[in-house]
Amino acid sequence: MASKYLTGVGSESKQLATWYFTFAAILFGAQLLFGLIAAIQYVMPGFLYGILDFSIARIIHINALVVWMVFAMFGSVYWLLPDETGIETVGIKIGKLLFWIFAAAIVVVVLVYLLIQVGPADETTIWFITEGREYIEAPRWADWGIVVVALGFVANLFLTGIKGKQTGIVTVLMADMIAFAGLYLAGMFFTDNISVDQYWWWWVIHLWVEATWEVFVGAIAAYGLIKMIGAHRQVVEMWLWIEVAMLFGSGILGLGHHYFWIGTPEYWWEIGALFSALEPLPLVAMFIHVLYDWGKTQGAQEEKGSTVSVVNNKPAFTWFVLNAFGNFLGAGIWGFFHTLPQVNLYTHGTQFTSAHGHLAFFGAYATILIGMMYIAVQGTNGIKIMKHTKASLWGVSMIVSGVVGMTVALTIAGYVQVLVSRAQMGATWAGYFDGQSGMWFSQAMDWRLVMGVVTFLGFIFLAKDLLTTGKNPVHER
Amino acid sequence: MIDPSIIRPEIALDDFLPIFVSSALVLVFGGFYVGIYTAVKVKLLKPWTMLFAYMFWVLTAYCLYLMGSLMHVGEFTAKALVVAAIGLFLLPFAVYYMQNQVHEENEH
Amino acid sequence: MANKSVWSDNRFWRRSAAWVTGFASILLIWLTFDTSAQIAMGNDQDLQNKVTKRVPGPTVINYKITYEMSAKRGHEVPVIGEKEKFFGRDDYSEEEAGALLHLGKLGSQAKNCMDCHTLLGNGAYYAPDLTKAWIDPAWGPNGAMQALTGKNTKEEAMAEFLMHPDQYPTHARMMPDLGITAKEAKGLVAFLKHMSSIDTNGFPRNFGKIEGAVHGK
Repeated sequence: MASKYLTGVGSESKQLATWYFTFAAILFGAQLLFGLIAAIQYVMPGFLYGILDFSIARIIHINALVVWMVFAMFGSVYWLLPDETGIETVGIKIGKLLFWIFAAAIVVVVLVYLLIQVGPADETTIWFITEGREYIEAPRWADWGIVVVALGFVANLFLTGIKGKQTGIVTVLMADMIAFAGLYLAGMFFTDNISVDQYWWWWVIHLWVEATWEVFVGAIAAYGLIKMIGAHRQVVEMWLWIEVAMLFGSGILGLGHHYFWIGTPEYWWEIGALFSALEPLPLVAMFIHVLYDWGKTQGAQEEKGSTVSVVNNKPAFTWFVLNAFGNFLGAGIWGFFHTLPQVNLYTHGTQFTSAHGHLAFFGAYATILIGMMYIAVQGTNGIKIMKHTKASLWGVSMIVSGVVGMTVALTIAGYVQVLVSRAQMGATWAGYFDGQSGMWFSQAMDWRLVMGVVTFLGFIFLAKDLLTTGKNPVHER
Repeated sequence: MIDPSIIRPEIALDDFLPIFVSSALVLVFGGFYVGIYTAVKVKLLKPWTMLFAYMFWVLTAYCLYLMGSLMHVGEFTAKALVVAAIGLFLLPFAVYYMQNQVHEENEH
Repeated sequence: MANKSVWSDNRFWRRSAAWVTGFASILLIWLTFDTSAQIAMGNDQDLQNKVTKRVPGPTVINYKITYEMSAKRGHEVPVIGEKEKFFGRDDYSEEEAGALLHLGKLGSQAKNCMDCHTLLGNGAYYAPDLTKAWIDPAWGPNGAMQALTGKNTKEEAMAEFLMHPDQYPTHARMMPDLGITAKEAKGLVAFLKHMSSIDTNGFPRNFGKIEGAVHGK
């Protein structure tokens, strides 16, 4: 491994990674901002009514979420490629060009969402304004743009992986990223049959977030453990393969838990229940693994008589540990308690889903991607041991308490909805609004807003820290 | 494909809360079980605390049982839940055994 | 170095991962073929011959749809009954009904319905679920919406509401005016009626069981 790649200095791939991380962080901020608008609308329904309605605020909230994560994932790969393969990324010039195309397309899509919002019921709207399918609302021209950009990215990854040293981490990423890009195609066509529509829509959404993205996280966690605490590559990579087997083994057919009520046959109840019950196991195992590696390397260090921490990047490691824990909590616990069909019949389409979504996206993905941003800050500034600063601690604690607070509030709101709207009122129009006007529900929504503000303030600390900590003299160089 | 014998009694209104709490606790206790087990094995905790690990597993299994019976799961799902409980019991053993073996082989 | 056991061999786990992933994927693809056949849209022939389809053909808008408990299935299922007029007609041809459904489905996407409502339970949670909106008692003869919109039929009341939602507030949280035209509204109502005829395995449970809840609060 050439030493110049250990820092960001001199590697174009790592420079490109920092671009991706920067744009991702901006979109993360936009996600939180539009989330706040939507949260305010729950409390004050007249807020921006007719100007920026809930639907538009929410589209930007969830699309910014998906896109910032994809940007940060691309950034993470461009960051680790030179380290893993020992060579500069192949086709980096095209990679940089694609970055600008991707970023420009995102800006255009968001401006159209904001300024045009909806269109007439014909194909031009689907092509140029919105496809109106949750999470992948981007119009079709942007779909094709995303396909081109993703293919370019996958090509760079493959060419580099084949030319350079092909470690286990790179191999997993190669397989995972091609599946990740390919699955997007399942969400690009139009059909009059809404059951067929949702069947394939879940291929994109579920097979991303509960399969390919989880495997991606496994690969990034492996890289991070090697980088930050000097975990043994052999151990980490073997573990990565086990994780791939467990995640894909439970996650691919875990898709069944989305097919309980969309018109699909009843056998999906059994398939969904079985694989959903297994889905938390890899998340638990990931959690043990981090604990194991940390305990082992720290123990080995202490046997040598040194009490110094083995962690060379405190803020990044904090986010990685939060990832192991948050994945288990958000995707595991919050997913499991409404996954069985018997209870999902009542919880499907309530704020429970929203609670799970908030904690799972944050715990499983936001955390580790923020961790990667800190690794990039460390690398580009040539820092040997990176420490926490006041801002990094405020950032992490406010974001975590904000998200957990929102999740608890949404869970309470979901519980009210299940009892009032679903179990007693049978999910009708009137039943829905009875649930929404309950005291517990509206107070939960107030608290959700407060916790959203806490999260946003935490984000400001985080952004400040990411921008300034590189020059901070507290770190060892 | 549709089993005519499937009867799906309604969940009683008072049962929703215990169902949600017990199914959340399944993984909370499960997490404690694997966490303590691993922490003891890598010597972050004293060996006698292993007793608590097994206690947490028993609690996990109990919560799974409670959750399953309150929501009247079918025979198949009940079996799936038992498999999940046993899987969770074996998981830290398997993970630790494999991690440790590969560690030994590579460092000594 | 000690002898490598199979359990700590990277190649063993790499192969296992490939096999497990491949096996799960093949199973999923196989199930997809089976499910695709079962959720393919039916046609007018099926409806006339009373062949039950999970997703009936578009001409289902010519019929009355109810949601009834099935003892055999153990949950509620949509039941397609007698002919029923839809905007004054019950003789929509396959092409006409198909065109209406196509317009309605496009409209549901062009207006971002799913970013406030849930359809088949998926979407946003800011507004009521629309899966069985067609059979919601609120729109029926005893419900509030026909009187509120000044219309005499369910479909006309729905279309009127969709065109001018801001004129008929039902809650502090109001649906915004999305520029829906009369033609689009008709398509959207056809889309909603068709969706209510989809067999959703009993979701939502007990839908509309508590009749007249609008008044009974």
